[in-house]
Amino acid sequence: MTLTDLIIQQTINGLSLGAMYALLALGFTLVYGILELINFSHFNVFMVGSFIAFWVLQMFGLTGQDVILTGLPLAMVLLVAFTVTMVGSGAIGVLIERLCLRPLRDVKGPAAMITTIGVSYILFNIILLSMGAEARNYPNPLPPVRFHIGDAILDVRVLLIWAVALVLMVALYLFVQKSRMGKAMRATAQDPEAARMMGVDVDRVVVMAFFLGSALAGAGGLIFGLYYNFTSFIIGFTAGLRAFTAAVLGGIGNVPGAMVGGIIIGLIEALGGQIAGAWTDVIIFSILVLVLVFKPSGLFGRMTPTKS
Amino acid sequence: MSNALTVLARPVAWIPEARRRQFALAIVIVLALSFPIWHDNDADIDSMANAAAYATLALGLNIVVGFAGLLDLGYAAFFAIGAYSYGVLSSFQLQPAWTDFWVPFQWLGLVTKMAADTGSGSVVHFTLSFWLALPLSAAFAAFWGVLFGAPTLRLRGDYLAIVTLGFGEIVPIVVRNWSDLTNGAAGLNGVAAPRLFGWSFGVDSTPYYYVAIALVALLIFVSIRLRDSRIGRAWMAIREDEIAAGCMGVDLTRFKLLAFAIGAAFGGMTGVFYVAKLQTATPEMFGFPVSVMILVMIVFGGIGSVWGVVVGAFFLQLLQSWWLEDLTGWINAFGSLVGSKWLQHIDLVPSIELIFGFILVGMMLFRRQGLIPAVRKQAPLSFEQQHAVVQRGGFTDLKLQGLGGDVRTGAAAMEVKGVTVRFGGLTALNAVDITVPNGSVVAVIGPNGSGKSTLFNAITGLVPSEAGSIRFHGEEILGLPPHEILRKGVARTFQNLRLFPNLTVMENALIGQHARLTTGVFRAIFRPPGTRAEEDAARTWAMEIFAIFGNRLAPRVMQMVSGLSYANRRRIEIARALASRPRILLLDEPTAGMNPAETLELAEQIKSLNALGLTVLLIEHKLDVVTTLADTVYVLDHGEVIAQGRPDEVRRDEEVLRAYLGRNAQAAAAGVTV
Repeated sequence: MTLTDLIIQQTINGLSLGAMYALLALGFTLVYGILELINFSHFNVFMVGSFIAFWVLQMFGLTGQDVILTGLPLAMVLLVAFTVTMVGSGAIGVLIERLCLRPLRDVKGPAAMITTIGVSYILFNIILLSMGAEARNYPNPLPPVRFHIGDAILDVRVLLIWAVALVLMVALYLFVQKSRMGKAMRATAQDPEAARMMGVDVDRVVVMAFFLGSALAGAGGLIFGLYYNFTSFIIGFTAGLRAFTAAVLGGIGNVPGAMVGGIIIGLIEALGGQIAGAWTDVIIFSILVLVLVFKPSGLFGRMTPTKS
Repeated sequence: MSNALTVLARPVAWIPEARRRQFALAIVIVLALSFPIWHDNDADIDSMANAAAYATLALGLNIVVGFAGLLDLGYAAFFAIGAYSYGVLSSFQLQPAWTDFWVPFQWLGLVTKMAADTGSGSVVHFTLSFWLALPLSAAFAAFWGVLFGAPTLRLRGDYLAIVTLGFGEIVPIVVRNWSDLTNGAAGLNGVAAPRLFGWSFGVDSTPYYYVAIALVALLIFVSIRLRDSRIGRAWMAIREDEIAAGCMGVDLTRFKLLAFAIGAAFGGMTGVFYVAKLQTATPEMFGFPVSVMILVMIVFGGIGSVWGVVVGAFFLQLLQSWWLEDLTGWINAFGSLVGSKWLQHIDLVPSIELIFGFILVGMMLFRRQGLIPAVRKQAPLSFEQQHAVVQRGGFTDLKLQGLGGDVRTGAAAMEVKGVTVRFGGLTALNAVDITVPNGSVVAVIGPNGSGKSTLFNAITGLVPSEAGSIRFHGEEILGLPPHEILRKGVARTFQNLRLFPNLTVMENALIGQHARLTTGVFRAIFRPPGTRAEEDAARTWAMEIFAIFGNRLAPRVMQMVSGLSYANRRRIEIARALASRPRILLLDEPTAGMNPAETLELAEQIKSLNALGLTVLLIEHKLDVVTTLADTVYVLDHGEVIAQGRPDEVRRDEEVLRAYLGRNAQAAAAGVTV
């Protein structure tokens, strides 16, 4: 494989990973933008989402990569899998907010963040104890169609991942920019107090942020399974930390920033991994630290509540 | 919990509390020392030694999270640094070729010469003594604590959490991949066991147990000494309100780094102990789950509570190594009794992390202060004390040495020249000039949003000024950080009260004296007579300050600030500022929210303070207060000084009327219809 082909190949991989991180980063950014809370439970909502999709695909009789679907059945299966996963993950997010975080909304200090760590641990261990520690072979009904660009391979599932991520991100962007609820979300992110006085139901806005963020994380979990052909209880931590880095890099609270940040981190992982190998995570964490220390507003400016 | 304790304590209530505490402590010490004797089971002693090791980790993290309020999610990194620094230097991992360079180290007993495996030549065998490694690794870990802390301290609390999490991940990755130094994922092997007078600890658990509880005792002692000192108060001030802490003279960067360093040192020491006990070290021993486990321990025991975190650590470790197994056994036995297959095969031990998760969530939702809270509620004042006749404290007879003493020479105490502050496009202050003569009272008035508080923030270093200068007794203070400005003698109060709510009235006043006290870490720990005297003097001084307010504050010195009335909290803020022995006092709307009688009382007190020779710069809305107190009044509007002069002059100034009442009102007053 020539260097050019290698770069093309790793760019393809990086864009796929980046799409996944971007979906995950959006959840961090939505919640942080409104509550100024780093939601550690998001790490494992992503992981649980990957398992929800796993169970849904299994219900269609898919167990590994042997059964291949095409045409309408494939479209239906994927549509159902993405819908159920996103609704399911979104529901988990809403549940976390209602049960664990709303009572702590006005508590100063790290209580809410510590709670999200606890929730993350609970999700993590529920899956570990019920599904076991070994990685699960992920059902993948996509036909093994491949396009060759030189020696680089463009898999059809990569195209699907790009398409799904693009559709979801555009939909979210339009929702936040155009819809009534989206306007309420942006208003709350600017100033919760003022938004409340203008008649915005802040509780509903927060629930919506958790639902949307968690639903996107669930979609990201499904994409993870399709991309890597496995899932495991352990996938949330690294992916979550990378996605958080993406959110910070793009400017936390900033929706387009999270998308671009995700893509950048994906590319760094794929291309950097070629050079740095096991040290890739060190590079990514270093980016996190450097951005936080020297440019805390990220590449595109942070958008968080203004506190007087 | 506290109620249960009260009930339990009832039969022994006749014993003074201090005596009861000593007695309880003595029982704990005797039980701990005799445990291996009355419980001769090596596995259980080993569990206790591990629990003690985790207690030392919890004590270390408690310094960072509990005292200083910095959420550190990567604490295990320091544990790893300590462990590997001893592990590498007392095993066969590194074997550089022998040269004369190593001879002096050989004399010191740090290395020995041995034959190389290859058969030719000699190589170095590192043999760092365990006892030497304890302090060395503590220092080494502290060094890394400062290195990790330094870039992150400017970050807000929640970002700090994620960055420490990142560091906590980087360290095991480095350990795993730097195989030459650490033997990678396979782990270090053959780490030397500690030796004492030529006798090796070997694999018997008992000596390790004694070392571990000695470490716990040492670190409890250090934690308590630090907590009850100038150092601990500074940390808690940072935890409660960073901005106020800075304005009260606490060097934020320094004390945050100090917390990181001491916390890391505790972790490093524990790492040495742990790796010496296991005689191996692998990267998995120091991952994120370990950091979370230590966090669970301090959350469970009580964030900031020294005894709480020790109890939390022991409880959770023993839950993991003893009780879950016992419980599993009982449930399985019960299962075979009732014939339930499911119950017979249930195993609770792997669910320990699930339990940790529930503990974190449950404690945060239902008992945030933990099992043994760090702050215990003080008994409320008696009815008589609450309703005692208010003494106004005509304090001209108070000594109050060291306060004021500035003579009205006419020289300027503070000269503000051309100070300009912009927030984005908004000019909050535009070339403001204000002069405060020595020993006078100067008032700044102006409509809301005219820049009065911004002026105070600029003077005390909270917001940067683009231009101009601020001279205090001839010395430029513009550009200094807030704590330096306080040190020069500029103390302030805040419009919206920035007290340290979860500390007592006394502690608030003691933090006010932070810059005037000198106790450092070592003196805080060893508490020599000089330090004791300094503490006593600080408390005496605080009581003298409280006496300014008659019997308003004096009976409440041991109460939490958060439980006091609004007017009293305003007084505490003034007392805290006065405690720092300022040469100028900046009061930002001191009488806001007070009723007319209280306002009058405070105005008299300010006047008396001024009579003692304290220069005062005052922001006030109540014009009668301004008229009674001020020698000179400056009027700010839209960030500019629009008038200045004696109070009666300013009251008649047309521009002032326009700023306050508006153009139309003025026109109406002149009889013109608009």
